[in-house]
Amino acid sequence: MVARVESKGLKRAKELYQDRPQRVKELKAEGKKVIGYLHLYPVLELLTAADLVPYAMLGDMREPITKADSCLPTIVCPFLRSIMDIGLKGRYDFLDGVVMAHMCEVGEKLAHVWRTYIHLPYSFFLDTPHATYDSAVKQHKEQLKVFKKSLESSTGKEITLEKLREAIKLHNEQRALVRELYDLRKPDPPLISGVETLQVLIATMSIPVEEGNDLLRQVISDVKVRRDGGPEKKPARLLLWGSMIDDTALVEVIESVGANLVMDDIWVGSSAYFSDVEVTEDPLDGLAYRYLMKLKCPRTFRGSAATDKKRDYMKDLEKRFGYLRDYARDWNVNGIILETIRYCDIHGYEVPGLRDYLDSVGLPNAYVEHDYSEAALAPIRTRIQGFVEVLG
Amino acid sequence: MTTENSLFFAGIDVGSTMTKVVVAGMDGEILSRVVGPTGAEHRRLANLVMEEALAKANLPFDRISYVIATGYGRINVPFADRQVTELTCHSKGIVSLFPNVRTAIDIGGQDAKGLKIRDGKLVDFVMNDRCAAGTGRFLEVIADSLSLKLDDLGSLSLKSTRKLSISNTCTVFARVEVASRLSEGEAIEDIVAGIHDAIANRVVKMAQRLGIEPDIVLTGGVAKNIGMVRAMEDNLKHKVLVPPEPLLTGALGAALLGKDFVQKAAASGQTLPIKPRKLEEARFFT
Repeated sequence: MVARVESKGLKRAKELYQDRPQRVKELKAEGKKVIGYLHLYPVLELLTAADLVPYAMLGDMREPITKADSCLPTIVCPFLRSIMDIGLKGRYDFLDGVVMAHMCEVGEKLAHVWRTYIHLPYSFFLDTPHATYDSAVKQHKEQLKVFKKSLESSTGKEITLEKLREAIKLHNEQRALVRELYDLRKPDPPLISGVETLQVLIATMSIPVEEGNDLLRQVISDVKVRRDGGPEKKPARLLLWGSMIDDTALVEVIESVGANLVMDDIWVGSSAYFSDVEVTEDPLDGLAYRYLMKLKCPRTFRGSAATDKKRDYMKDLEKRFGYLRDYARDWNVNGIILETIRYCDIHGYEVPGLRDYLDSVGLPNAYVEHDYSEAALAPIRTRIQGFVEVLG
Repeated sequence: MTTENSLFFAGIDVGSTMTKVVVAGMDGEILSRVVGPTGAEHRRLANLVMEEALAKANLPFDRISYVIATGYGRINVPFADRQVTELTCHSKGIVSLFPNVRTAIDIGGQDAKGLKIRDGKLVDFVMNDRCAAGTGRFLEVIADSLSLKLDDLGSLSLKSTRKLSISNTCTVFARVEVASRLSEGEAIEDIVAGIHDAIANRVVKMAQRLGIEPDIVLTGGVAKNIGMVRAMEDNLKHKVLVPPEPLLTGALGAALLGKDFVQKAAASGQTLPIKPRKLEEARFFT
């Protein structure tokens, strides 16, 4: 019998997925400062250039929300309520500060509520614009200047041009590595499962960028030569679009009903890594442009309706969702799951248009809404399994 | 005629309220059918319902070629060879009874679903959102508040001369509303008619997301209630077809799918793997 060769990289990723703060706590003991950030919009290059460790703030869908209801309404995004909840329970006390952005309405309010209830040495609210006009990019750059200054005064150190360029290089490298990892999902069966991919990305978001890059290199080289333990060939190859996913439970459901998850369009997924920062003379120009114009999240309005005189619904849809057709083609996807967390308005608003678009280009799709709770996955299983059965 | 070479297929549909078993023969003929309550304990004891169905069909378990489990409790059937969702199984069962069906609506004990069927195949579906409003449970709760038997609700609703409007958003709120209507002196049959209309309205709105086209078939336990059938027809503005045993379409479809799987495998010279033919209760910790 040939002994099963376990991937060192995947093992390390799983370890970090299960105990996310372990590495940053070690770094803190060495004197490093760790800054929590929420979602796609905090500009990580500025943190890295300031010699701070960016640490993605995630919720915990396995932990019932018991404390956050005293300071946030119950009819808002349960992912953000969960972050507030575990924050109130002290699970983010190791952070030296947080950066939150105007990601969505609830995200904006959370930033302020957080500051009221949880006292960390540093906090910054980045007021990211919501539209893609030229003036919005200029406004965004001004915001980044304020953010940079705030970091400099907090650390007492200047963020030099050289440091910022180096940070951009490191983060772009990470993006390229993640894209390389995603290329390994193109074969049938994919070389790496959806569950493993999510673990690797969550691990990467829990450690400094250089270490994340090393981890990604290790995983890629392990997975490329893996002979067993990888995903089996299954009838359906699915793409997952939608709100935040920070727990493997939902992906496990998808991959247990006759499907491989081979591509996604979510924050802890392709959204964070599929666009680079252009190297510009003033690095803030490239950063302001990438984080506002290139990131794809429905919190930013990018319909053609804003600039076109003649209304053309299909053209508008193509502009908003055309990239998903490219993903589906390149990853040989035969079905798309639209997933939203209950009360995630920004994704919810996209669903009718997105379904119209996918129907028009002949991509089968199913919509599921979930409660961000591990306990409520049974109805989701039936919907996804039913969808896979319909795909045949 | 049953011979030594005959093949038999079983479908077991473990719903949130009732467990249904159908044993079918090679031509899709139903050899036995059993409906029993699922309940908290019974969910673990799906084997008993199966035993009863086998006894009725006069077959030992090892004569069954393939067993498919479906329904909400499908994962708790250790002796099933395969699990298929109730969406696919209901479609299969309904198509076998009504080949021209294009829309099927199934209202069960705790969920409701709309199925879009084209050329005998399920192509899309919708399901209700984790809430009892718009399901059989809604009727049970209301029957209980009015001290009526569930079975009498439908015929009572047909006696109404002035259907009342009851909100359809929440079972618990509707119960309060019913109490206040009673205290206002409204006639029970008018209240009951309002309840039927509230459920039908909610379910039809959900199914409209699929685009409703005839033939329309109504299944599930709620389809046994004549008042609900009428209320659905009023809301759909179209006649609905109801199978003689509307609870059984899922289990029937599961048995027929098993037949398809076995025949398809045999045609390509394969044998499908099956579980040991041992009936035992599901264990949560193995």
